[in-house]
Amino acid sequence: MTNSIAEIEDSACIFVIGSNTTACHPLVARRIFRAKEKGAALLVADPRRIQLSLFAHVAVQQRVGSDVALLNGLMHLILKNGWEDREYIAERTEGFEEVEELLADYPPDRVAAITGVAPQDLARMAELYATRKPAAILYTMGITQHTTGVDNVKAICNLAMLTGNVGFASAGVNPLRGQNNVQGACDMGGLPNVFPGYQAVNVPENNAKFSQAWGRPLSDKPGLTIMEMVKAMEEGRLKALYVVGENPKLSDPDMNHLRHAMKNLELLIVQDLFLSETAQGADVVFAAASTAEKEGTVTNTERRCLRFYQAIEPLGDCLPDWEIICRLATAMGYPMHYTGPEEIFREITRLTPSYAGMSYERLGLTGLQWPCPTPEHPGTPFLHRDRFTRGRGKFHPVSYLDPAELPDEEYPYFLTTGRMFAHYHTGTMTRVSPHLDREQPTGYVEIHPDDAARLGIAEGETVAVASPRGRLEAPARICRTVRPGNLFLPIHFGENPTNVLTSAEALDPLAKIPEFKVSKARLEKVQPS
Amino acid sequence: MYKLVPSICSYCGTGCGVLFEVLDHRILGTLPLKTHPVNEGRLCLKGWSLHEYVESDMRLTGPYLRINGRLHQVTWERAIGFAARRLTEIVDRYGPDSVGVLASAKISNEENYLLQKFARAVVGTNNVDHCARL
Amino acid sequence: MAELKDLVRQWLESGRVDLFLGYKEVAGHPLPYAFSRDNLEEVAELMVSPARYSLEKLAANILKARPGLRIGLLARDCTRRAVNVLTIYNQVEPGQVELLDLSCCPSRPQVSCSALTPPEVGEVKRALGLDNRLTPEQFEAIPAPERLGRWLYEFQKCLKCYGCRDICPVCFCRECSLEHGELVEPRDLPPEVPMFHWVRAVHMAGRCIDCGLCEEACPVDIPLRLLYRLTNRIVRELFGYDTGLTLTRPPFSVLGVGPAEPREAAGGKGR
Repeated sequence: MTNSIAEIEDSACIFVIGSNTTACHPLVARRIFRAKEKGAALLVADPRRIQLSLFAHVAVQQRVGSDVALLNGLMHLILKNGWEDREYIAERTEGFEEVEELLADYPPDRVAAITGVAPQDLARMAELYATRKPAAILYTMGITQHTTGVDNVKAICNLAMLTGNVGFASAGVNPLRGQNNVQGACDMGGLPNVFPGYQAVNVPENNAKFSQAWGRPLSDKPGLTIMEMVKAMEEGRLKALYVVGENPKLSDPDMNHLRHAMKNLELLIVQDLFLSETAQGADVVFAAASTAEKEGTVTNTERRCLRFYQAIEPLGDCLPDWEIICRLATAMGYPMHYTGPEEIFREITRLTPSYAGMSYERLGLTGLQWPCPTPEHPGTPFLHRDRFTRGRGKFHPVSYLDPAELPDEEYPYFLTTGRMFAHYHTGTMTRVSPHLDREQPTGYVEIHPDDAARLGIAEGETVAVASPRGRLEAPARICRTVRPGNLFLPIHFGENPTNVLTSAEALDPLAKIPEFKVSKARLEKVQPS
Repeated sequence: MYKLVPSICSYCGTGCGVLFEVLDHRILGTLPLKTHPVNEGRLCLKGWSLHEYVESDMRLTGPYLRINGRLHQVTWERAIGFAARRLTEIVDRYGPDSVGVLASAKISNEENYLLQKFARAVVGTNNVDHCARL
Repeated sequence: MAELKDLVRQWLESGRVDLFLGYKEVAGHPLPYAFSRDNLEEVAELMVSPARYSLEKLAANILKARPGLRIGLLARDCTRRAVNVLTIYNQVEPGQVELLDLSCCPSRPQVSCSALTPPEVGEVKRALGLDNRLTPEQFEAIPAPERLGRWLYEFQKCLKCYGCRDICPVCFCRECSLEHGELVEPRDLPPEVPMFHWVRAVHMAGRCIDCGLCEEACPVDIPLRLLYRLTNRIVRELFGYDTGLTLTRPPFSVLGVGPAEPREAAGGKGR
């Protein structure tokens, strides 16, 4: 997030796009409600009618995968009405002219044809977003899990810059991170092209710095992304995989494809709390301790590095992840010995400029938001104050592209996937939790009443959903949350895994993120045998 | 005997502050930290249930090794020794880029740091990514 | 405060209590803290926290696992009321819990209390929903036909966190009616409007001790305290029953045949 969670309360306009915030980030939703109740305009764009839609000044259900058209359409109207912030554009950004030219191609009637959003709703949204400052945009995977994921994000940034909404409190571009330490995993260099603190591996001085700190010459060749690793496994180039705390068999876009690729591995090491679908196929399984059984830090979606403390001893013979990694490294001839996480954190702060001013003592129970470059620095609640980190904010012209798949005769539905309020990700943690399991013990597929009536499907009846990749069965949930012609499947349920349906081929070309949010699908009644 | 231990919710990326109620080394429950800047004493259903997965019967309680096609619980020495030997063999035979490491959005900063250090300095590859895209 | 600390030390040293639940500051945050004979020196750090935790609920949870313990509590007036209700419902035995009073409310604010400083309430909330600062009397000044709509607005925000129940010092049922599918239909968000909140409100009649912790725990600022005050008022008006002020059983909780006698007189064993 460019901005902080608490700041949302003081926004004058909040535009939520592709985020079912009340279900997935409830304590962020709190701030949205509070802002609205103080008088902020709330705009919601989501293919499903979500809880927040009930409270929105304008709520639209754009067709899945049509976000660029919607966003460009908003910008078209902002320019047409002269609501853009010319001074901000001139002083703080570059590349505007190109975008301005492109936006001429997105008049409301064309946008309506692509997105299904009525021109009057579009006009109202454009006006509210552009004329109420500060305005904050919040989004999640509804924006990123597309073949046009990067384009979607660029279009959002264009919209925010066009109206001068980056670099101020309670404004900004705010992706809400889905897992408790995604931000930290990226910050710490859990990416193929960068060391901790986003220091590129192929920049000689970075490479020299880390080679020296770690006492080994390091490769300057960017590595493979997860999707590229799957391909490399398939082609027999990747022979060993060490998976920590993840369950790619259920989270990968194409389960059958991944299962097949993993067969080529000579060694699969899995480190987890549970014998997940992925761990069941491992050669070695390391039993890890949970958060409650160790100490350390995580970094939340607002860049706040937060300490957690050890509550109990590790269960049975489990070990904290850091200790397992140390033992493995040491056994491979690279002695790794730390007295505990605090010593590791000190090493991190020495090598990572944005964390340099942090210490366990300073973090306390409140944490600090990076960048925090010196021990006196109070942390940074919002980014790009006065100037963009890169100098000038860059506008990127992005054109609307269809998703990789559109419905056809054989597969006439749009299928989209996501989370529901009681569960989390692949369900390994939530489905063993009695109070969460009780709320939703099984998977389901959301079907619009019109579609259900046409096929004669009753509430709760088991139906089949098929895509060119595979087929699954799940109980029908008939509701108006989805539009006619759309189906929604929650991702948490291993017995009806959505990733037998989604595609591993449809990736964003740059981010390599799979298009979980759009697949074509067929809905069938299951004949009693 | 009894203490309240501050922690951070391990579900979504909001980062809510919680307190674990710990009695005789077991967790009785989860409470919201009332003075936390993120959640100010509130939690969602998942947060309130945070302690439940910790002591689930489904938790692994020690390392496993596949022997004759089946997973058996073994000692740490054996599990680590096996993994270290096989990884070393694979690196020696196919080169460091034949190994991939998946870091995690669910482990700590310190652990992610060590894991990518392991990939880069010990194995010698930049093939390290995490599952945030998924 | 020095007097208070001396008392706590005395209680622990003399064995009057095995544990004393109060507060201690950790990195600038007041946290509930268990003082015992093993850490007597730390009693010097005992503090009164402006942030309220339900110490009596923590004590009841401990006593479920360790019924032999005697626990002292730094007690606000709401703590005393809660302990009375917990005693009536056999969740704590008389003598298991000792209170060290901090008389705080409603008219003698010697101690700052989050419930005494009501939150800011936005203008839109006041227009569409309910101002969290309303008293039952002020609520009744709202024209009757408007009232339900305002409650529905508030309930539609519900995130089904169950925080109102989980934080509640007097919620302890093993089977919760909110989790009963025939009373509240299980489904996506928001939970069944208005049943989820009506069911809990009914359950709070003669039970709620008006501490306001539920409202402080509500992520979406539903005026729960007002809701339960309104329900509890029915009990007061119909039966003259003031919840938590005595050990008399509430009129809705008399099980089986027989008079609703005070807990001591009944003398029955807990379940």
